[in-house]
Amino acid sequence: METVLSTVLIGVMLGAQYALLALGFTLIFGILGVVNFAHGSLYMLGGYLAYAAVAKAGVPYPAAVVFATLGTAALGYLFEVWILQRVVDDHLATLILTLGFSQVIITGVTMVFGHEAPRFTFPIVGNVAVGSLFIPQDKLIVFAISAVVICAVYWLVYRTGFGRAMRALSIDRAVAITLGMNARIIFPLTVALSAGLAGLTGSLITPILSLSPHAGESVLITAFVVVILGGLGSVAGATAAAFLVGIIEAFSGVYIGGSLGTLGLFVLVIAILMFRPSGLFGASMRGA
Amino acid sequence: MLIRKRMAAALVAIGAVLGAPGVVAAQECELKLGVVGPFSGGAAQWGIAMRTGVEFAVLEVNSKGGLPVGDKKCHVQTIEVDAKYSAQGAASAANRLASEKVRFVMGPVGSPEVSGIKPVATRYHMLLMLNSYAKNAIGPEWPLAFHVSPGPSGWAAPLVEVAKEKFGMENVVIIAPNDQGGTDIAPVVAKAYEQQGIESTEEYFKRGTANFSPLVARVLDINPDAVDLVSTPTVEAGTLVKQLRQAGFEGPIGKLGGPGTEEIARIAGGMNVLGNYYWFEPVLIDEQTEKMTQRYTELAGSEPPDHTFFYLWAAGTRMVLKAISEAGTIEDTELVAQTLRELPVKDKNLGDGLWIGQKFFGINQELSLPFGMGIIEDGVQQPMIRMPAATGN
Repeated sequence: METVLSTVLIGVMLGAQYALLALGFTLIFGILGVVNFAHGSLYMLGGYLAYAAVAKAGVPYPAAVVFATLGTAALGYLFEVWILQRVVDDHLATLILTLGFSQVIITGVTMVFGHEAPRFTFPIVGNVAVGSLFIPQDKLIVFAISAVVICAVYWLVYRTGFGRAMRALSIDRAVAITLGMNARIIFPLTVALSAGLAGLTGSLITPILSLSPHAGESVLITAFVVVILGGLGSVAGATAAAFLVGIIEAFSGVYIGGSLGTLGLFVLVIAILMFRPSGLFGASMRGA
Repeated sequence: MLIRKRMAAALVAIGAVLGAPGVVAAQECELKLGVVGPFSGGAAQWGIAMRTGVEFAVLEVNSKGGLPVGDKKCHVQTIEVDAKYSAQGAASAANRLASEKVRFVMGPVGSPEVSGIKPVATRYHMLLMLNSYAKNAIGPEWPLAFHVSPGPSGWAAPLVEVAKEKFGMENVVIIAPNDQGGTDIAPVVAKAYEQQGIESTEEYFKRGTANFSPLVARVLDINPDAVDLVSTPTVEAGTLVKQLRQAGFEGPIGKLGGPGTEEIARIAGGMNVLGNYYWFEPVLIDEQTEKMTQRYTELAGSEPPDHTFFYLWAAGTRMVLKAISEAGTIEDTELVAQTLRELPVKDKNLGDGLWIGQKFFGINQELSLPFGMGIIEDGVQQPMIRMPAATGN
């Protein structure tokens, strides 16, 4: 029973991390219709910005997290205004551009910080005892922040005027623009929000796991699986799918292990998609 | 008029250069040495150290006027191609080298590259001095393929013996990636533990895994005395060590699959997090390797990378160049291979060794030189242990 409980705990912790990562990925697709292949690199960049702030400038870690979030958000904003906006409706062009953007970030980070992983650890270590279970404090903090951020994003998208404008543009851009919504303002802000979420996730997760120029590659794949399972563009779907993937990954990893464990996750994802091809909450946001 | 004068001056200069005796000799005999490895991407650290080691051996030869081959002195030129740690990259590199009539290739490193290069290299009769822990890295089917350093079949047993003496473990969990880079090495290392009476369990993960929480929970459920990360790449190994220690695992952690301890310690959070830790170091760092570093700095004007592959590949290149010289040919790779097999293994800096590999690979073409074993006890790095050249028995 103890193993089952600890496995559920691992799954929930994993799910929180995946949700944070997948939210930004699904937002940019939901609003702009862009599959952002630079999302993983922005995650990695967030980690490096936080690391540089802590290790090079002596900034306290919480402030470094804010700096990384704002830094990646600003980069995302500029990328949309200067580059993405010109070709936003050309899916092939945006795909290539985001891939290129990803390579530029990886190469830039390698040139500045080198290809070896730096020493970057979470400032709080130790475990919290809950009955017979021990929960790492760092993961608990990340879980709490994830929960707050997920709620904040949900509130922003579904309870504010800005969110309504975002959703209106995603459902029918022509009508939304006719009604006075400005895509030239909303789109860059959406990309900034998405990039900021990636940066925030990177600055929180990389000190717990590891930081290297290629750290974003595997998380991009996970984010992809999560948003496809949740339904591309669906905030609620991405959140639900993130926790589902986390739980499945934890149980298959603990009880099956090895290649079969990894296979188990993808078999379940395929099975779900066979019955719900547009994902758990597919197309609830994007209609345009 | 001005153009004519300039052309005449250029012709005079070219004539003067061609007239220089050293240049004439170099043009009479030029040995092209291919260098194939990962010079970009995640494994670039290995490739760059390897490339610098090869360049060092070439600089040594060229600084003495070239390599004596028969009655000529050949200038050695390297042609370096990035294989990007992929099979297609290595195959494409070999095709390019073949088009430039290169017969001798140093590298590649790593199983994907080795499986990609061998068919092309075999077609063009290229002699390869490669490195990979794959169980079919070399063999009787590829008589022109040599191993620059033994795989775990050579060095795992003596290292496990020392580890057991030091830490007294009775069972171990071996963790490796679930591709050829892991599945070929883990059973060999497991066998070495079993031979010492240490029970072993193998666990595999998907390469590129970022979060090992489920695997760590699974491993702790087995309750092992020790964990060995064998060929797990450095970044993943660092994360695993960090998560194992955070989950409360206090036993020794081994890495019988390659260096990278400093980076692993950085990721894990410091030497104290490593606790009790032991690893295979392909080359022992001592005053002899320091001499090699100094000599390279004199010749190249820059410092070599801080990686033991630099020394290993310098020694391997020296052996190949010596074999070419003694065989007296820069064309006949079969004759050079035969000469190389018969050459006594002796490096002026790394010491004396032997050719091994017959028992595991069915061919005696592994260059075995003395190596090192690193140990960290209670977070404090101990002096490296000098291990004699592996015999492969």
